[in-house]
Amino acid sequence: MATQAVKKRKGRISKGHLLSHAYIWVLILFIVFPIYIVIESSFNPTGVLTSGSFIPTQFSWANYHQLFTDPHVPFPRWILNSVILATANALIAVFIGGASAFAFSRMKFRGRKIGLQALLLVQVFPSFLALAAIYVMMERVYTVFPPIGLGSLGGLLLVYLGGSMGVNIWLLRGYIDTIPLELDEAARIDGASTPQVYWLIFFPLAAPVLAVTALLAFIGTFNEFILASLFLTDVHQRTVAVGLNSFVGAQFGQNWGPFAAGALMASVPLVILFLSLQRFIIGGLTQGATKG
Amino acid sequence: MNRLSGFTGTLALLFKIIFMGMVDALLLAMFLAALHKHSGMLELVVALVGILANIVYFSKRTMPFKFLYPGLVLLVLFVVIPVGYTVEMSVFNFQTGNVVSKTDAMTQLLNNGLVPDAANTTYDMVLGSDGGKFTALLTSPATHISYIANANSVVVLTPGEFKVNAQQDAVGVAGFIPYTPDQTANLDSVITSAKFPMPDGNFIQPQTGTSAALLTQTVHFDGATGLLTDTASGKIYKDNGNGNFASVKNPADKLYPGWKTFNKFQNYAHLLTDPTVRGPFIGVFIWTFAFAVGSVLLMFGFGLLLAIALDQNLRFKRFYRSIVILPYAIPSFMSILIWKGMFNTQFGAVNGLFHTHIDFFNSPWLARMMVLLVNLWLGLPYFYLISTGALQAIPADLEEAAEMDGATASQILRRIKLPLLLQILAPLLISSFAFNFNNFSLIYLLTGGGPTDVLNNQTAGATDILITYTYKTAFNGASQNYGLASAISMLIFLVVASLSLWSLRRSRVLDLVG
Repeated sequence: MATQAVKKRKGRISKGHLLSHAYIWVLILFIVFPIYIVIESSFNPTGVLTSGSFIPTQFSWANYHQLFTDPHVPFPRWILNSVILATANALIAVFIGGASAFAFSRMKFRGRKIGLQALLLVQVFPSFLALAAIYVMMERVYTVFPPIGLGSLGGLLLVYLGGSMGVNIWLLRGYIDTIPLELDEAARIDGASTPQVYWLIFFPLAAPVLAVTALLAFIGTFNEFILASLFLTDVHQRTVAVGLNSFVGAQFGQNWGPFAAGALMASVPLVILFLSLQRFIIGGLTQGATKG
Repeated sequence: MNRLSGFTGTLALLFKIIFMGMVDALLLAMFLAALHKHSGMLELVVALVGILANIVYFSKRTMPFKFLYPGLVLLVLFVVIPVGYTVEMSVFNFQTGNVVSKTDAMTQLLNNGLVPDAANTTYDMVLGSDGGKFTALLTSPATHISYIANANSVVVLTPGEFKVNAQQDAVGVAGFIPYTPDQTANLDSVITSAKFPMPDGNFIQPQTGTSAALLTQTVHFDGATGLLTDTASGKIYKDNGNGNFASVKNPADKLYPGWKTFNKFQNYAHLLTDPTVRGPFIGVFIWTFAFAVGSVLLMFGFGLLLAIALDQNLRFKRFYRSIVILPYAIPSFMSILIWKGMFNTQFGAVNGLFHTHIDFFNSPWLARMMVLLVNLWLGLPYFYLISTGALQAIPADLEEAAEMDGATASQILRRIKLPLLLQILAPLLISSFAFNFNNFSLIYLLTGGGPTDVLNNQTAGATDILITYTYKTAFNGASQNYGLASAISMLIFLVVASLSLWSLRRSRVLDLVG
């Protein structure tokens, strides 16, 4: 009787495993399907899937070649714009946000509590909801200061910085609160001023979390579409997201091959970045989950 | 101590002065540029930012603000002010045709009422300055009467008092200095906007650098009654209180341009009462909820099941894991565009796989299903990850205790793990709902909100959610309605904010309990 029960249980477990494997494989096929198609068509000189056959028959770099030579598709320029914008946003956001978070976490001043509550309120309002207002505002700024008005990368950067500042300060403050206060106090007893505490004690200590925040800001900017598409109308000013969309949107059938090549080139660095740093990023996610 | 002291002293002070000097120089240049363009608000903002920066960084008693200032400036300028402006715009009639102030609109309306007189009278013209004022010498080729004209008056010149050329045109008079051709070319904008008032109420307006035409004013505004009369058509117009002059007899007959005007809650009221706005709005509203709820349920269902499956001691577990989180690492706009190609009717891989030619983008229900499927692909890794985190957070002794009490594996899952999971994940599910409620890039890039029933004059498509509909209302198409778009924005904010507040309050309660 006992052995029978064990046997039965064993049988059920392996059946459960089998089901699990089957379920996972269905999802994996679903997940890998578009990725495979993109890789396949990026090397396919015809650029289209007409035969209905999914096994690659031809191989060429023609699509990649077109992206770097076609004057109507300044793909390298788009990548450059995206990287500049994302890097600038990540660095400045962390620099400015870190300083504000430090003040909220470590200093006593009048209005601190109200400031924090206001911050919480502000970060609930997604900046793209004020889309029409930002548009009208930056249109007016353009008439006076074209380099930071509508249509410029500079203006877009300012809007990104403002829009993400609330969340960044809030997140960074949460981390800074966990750095023990004794460290600052020791430095202060040694005669350090507040800026010195910030630069020499706090900044090195918070470096890892600043790096993760910067990375998230980088990925977020690289992915952003709505504001970028509204702001950047000139073909040479576009980011990868806006550029590839307009390129592929015009002639999907014809441009599919080069688009696939571009998608692959723009994604691979980010995928590598993500996978190599996934421990930090996912750590933050699950921490949020378990903390509720 | 030594190491620390390097940051104070003269070097640091010098650095600070140089840096602030650069900031001040930049802000001053911007201030002057704004002053030059008479932009009003911008001057004020730049001046305020500059003055406060100097106070904050040169005073000894503002230490916290030295750290807060740049962040605060960015937040105020690019979040608080736009939010305030959105609220303001949502109670204004602000759309194509109603974008300028009332004074500007009046000027334009009166200008539009200037039409060439019946005889098409023209004048030969010589431009110059008289006592520093922009002046024209005009001669009618028909009557050979000459005039001297400026912005205030047109006066007939007595023959013999002025110099004439071969055509008997006036070319010089005492005190009058003619412009060189170069000067004339530079004064292009002055010339096109110049108007010389005749004593009888008509105007002479330059047409080119050397000719002018007689224009009669057909539109008259009576300041006392507030009525605008068009003598050409005989119609009488009245300010309709909503940014336009409308015909007294037929209120739908409006004059353009109109002006931006406060219209209380008309934009909001429009959403609920005006059938042309209400119809699409309610449809979009329902689909937005259905899409957000459906997406979260689908992603959570599949993600949780995946987490449970991968929580066991499976073979290839690490391999599975790394594949499953791939969509999370690929830039989402790229994935969406890739899927758009995959669903293409002629050459898309989905149709290729099944050897069909289904047009996913032109059937409302197929398009909606497609949107949900693509969203599932995008969101699966995130939900797998948070479900795994939550599963691991459930104490193992709970399971053991239940097992001892004779509970089966499925009972443990349904009665113990699931309720706990839901409790842990509720805030994340809420924020995911809020995110999908505003998932602009998915809808905009994949379907563009379509298919749209253009034949029946529909403005909203089958997959349009509120935020894409707002975008269309504000920026797409022939007419742009910022006021209405802002009103929809405020409604979206209301939904998102109340959810967030609920979730924040909940998590605070959880903190207290923990």
